[in-house]
Amino acid sequence: MDWFSFLVAGVMVYLAVFVFITGMLYQIYRWLSVPKTNVRLGIFPKPKSKTARLLKLAKDSFIFPQAFEIDRKMWFFAILFHFALLAVFIGHLRLIQEFSFLFNILGNKGVERFAFISGGSMGIILTVALLYYFSRRFKSPYKDLSVPEDYLLLILLMLVVTMGNHMRFFGDVRVADYREYVHSLFVFKPAFNLGLSVSLSKYSLVAHVFFANLLFIYFPFSKLVHAIGTFAANLIRSE
Amino acid sequence: MTVDKQTEEKLIALLKQKINRQLLYYLDICARCAICRDACHQYVATKDVHYLPAYRAELIRRIYKKYFTRTGRIIPSLYEGKEITDDLLDELYKVTYACTGCRRCMFYCPFSIDTTWVLSVAKTILIAAGKGSPILTELADAAIEKGKNIDLFKGIMLDILKDTERKLQEKVGDPKATIPVEKEDSNLLYVALSGEHTILPAAIIFHQAKENWTLSLFEASNYGYFLGDTAKAKTIAQRIVDEAKRLKVKEVVVTECGHAHRVFKFFYESWAKEKYPFQVSSILEIIHRYLKEGRINLNSKYIKEPVTYHDPCQIGRNYGVFAEPRDIISQVSADFREMNPQREKNWCCGAGGGVVAQPDLDEFRIKTGELKVKQIRQTGAKIVVSPCENCRLQIETLNEKYNLGIRISSIMDLVAYSLLIPREQS
Amino acid sequence: MAEEIKVDLELNLKGLLCPLPMVRVSQNIKNVPVGGIIKATATDPGSLADIPSWAKSTGNEILKSERIGPEIIFYIKRIK
Repeated sequence: MDWFSFLVAGVMVYLAVFVFITGMLYQIYRWLSVPKTNVRLGIFPKPKSKTARLLKLAKDSFIFPQAFEIDRKMWFFAILFHFALLAVFIGHLRLIQEFSFLFNILGNKGVERFAFISGGSMGIILTVALLYYFSRRFKSPYKDLSVPEDYLLLILLMLVVTMGNHMRFFGDVRVADYREYVHSLFVFKPAFNLGLSVSLSKYSLVAHVFFANLLFIYFPFSKLVHAIGTFAANLIRSE
Repeated sequence: MTVDKQTEEKLIALLKQKINRQLLYYLDICARCAICRDACHQYVATKDVHYLPAYRAELIRRIYKKYFTRTGRIIPSLYEGKEITDDLLDELYKVTYACTGCRRCMFYCPFSIDTTWVLSVAKTILIAAGKGSPILTELADAAIEKGKNIDLFKGIMLDILKDTERKLQEKVGDPKATIPVEKEDSNLLYVALSGEHTILPAAIIFHQAKENWTLSLFEASNYGYFLGDTAKAKTIAQRIVDEAKRLKVKEVVVTECGHAHRVFKFFYESWAKEKYPFQVSSILEIIHRYLKEGRINLNSKYIKEPVTYHDPCQIGRNYGVFAEPRDIISQVSADFREMNPQREKNWCCGAGGGVVAQPDLDEFRIKTGELKVKQIRQTGAKIVVSPCENCRLQIETLNEKYNLGIRISSIMDLVAYSLLIPREQS
Repeated sequence: MAEEIKVDLELNLKGLLCPLPMVRVSQNIKNVPVGGIIKATATDPGSLADIPSWAKSTGNEILKSERIGPEIIFYIKRIK
């Protein structure tokens, strides 16, 4: 590993994970250390039972059906974006351990093809959704509402996704090589194997990791905390 | 221009006091997706970003980021973190006192962000900076003054009530029918508005149901709540809570007045840090109870003209009474028509939250009432029923300005009139 | 007695319900000079307590109020 890769894809990864976890814990602590108002802020009709309340919470947080009613376009892209993000997250788990059940069903070649199709299409979906998000910010009234944070996050996300796409579509490295890199991170000896070191994909990987690091570092201090805050806020809805 | 150091410190200290967990969620998680755009009747009617719910809350968020978050202190420009300036306060005034508090944006927000809750903070800051709504301040102070001098006014009020009582006796044909005031151990304390139109129909209904009731000396409306001054709002509501305690009533019944429902059901106990020794109900719930128990019987389907119902935001979405009024109306009306949308999705009339009392918003509320006008027209109804004084005042204005050719009625009027028909016919 | 009061502005508040009588008086008090007098005629019985309360809390003065049939007439003097 050259020194730059070592800094970005090694040291900085640890830093990012550390900042992300402590930042999120700090954010949660910050929320919980402030007392709740005992004014009930819920809106009616409210779910009757505890189970119904939890079901509603899940529905409101994961598919926000009310938003579908008034802004279908934004709802569509938001759903697309978030579910693609989830899929991509799951896909990345393959870099920790191969999904053996898929491997058993599809075989080596089959898994590669499946990964190419699913990963590729998710990458494209993310790009399209991000482009929509981005273009929306340039129109009124969204323009007047937007603050630099909004653009910064979109740019970071776009860079991460683009670099990921680059590896997916133009890369010449096999999954096993990436997995080896991820494993090296786990044992605190970050390294690229030979295949990765000599490949051009190394540069897109380092860039991908770099922007992802920045995103994770900024995450706890940005509006992205809605990833967990949404559950708390949507729960207040039925209080 | 930035406000002076002393004011700034005072406002920030106040903001700090007002921070609670719910508020933090709302300030931290908004993604500025602006899905709320089409939820707000004021934005839809004006297309002015100031009335976009997310933007209204964003103004408070900018102050919050600047003074209360680490990253916002270091890089305020990232969030457009702002110092408190006179311009910012003026902008806050514009977006805050125009908000009707209908909370339709909260219904549609993917995170259920309660913009009015954020704006209640804005009101606190504005008041502390000496920029609270002047007229709402006057109205709140007048109510407090009335509370202080109640013995002075009691004579006049009882005098007026004698007139109302005579009308009651005439209407129900019972010379012993009364409008009791300050009657101890009554089942319920009925809190009306100032003005006979909310007292007489209720008195007829209570008389027919043979209720053991008493009338409050005070009006349900609370301009301290609209103003956003918790101390004043509490003082105003407390006049009634004290009265209810003194008379040892079992139930406090709020008249057809939207915000009073919320004040008594959801806010007062929190403001006063105490539990009521009585129940709080809506007059709609009471009427519905009488019907179910057979204590009153309505003259079936006597209204032939098409009738529609406007859900007041503070009684529907924000209080949870949807079925009762519909049930009552369909008992007396042969042709009941729903508005679209209705219930928890209903559009605000355009004048809640104290907007109706602010003369500088008169034109604005007529303009932003256009969605309500469209809805009413679509139903083809000739009678619009709504159990909120605020809504009715606004719909009456809209009726006049847009030539709707409708009549506006309260639920109590419908019921009381229906109860009297058999008598008047015989 | 009524003739003795010199009125600067007459307000017709008939048919208006709370809080509008108070709102109109508050709006119009600015249109008379300090020491000037508004004669306001309302029909909302609630205003019998509301208008004097408003006057008290804003530091203005009710010179006189009378009821003639359904009408309630106030003579309000602007003090400041």
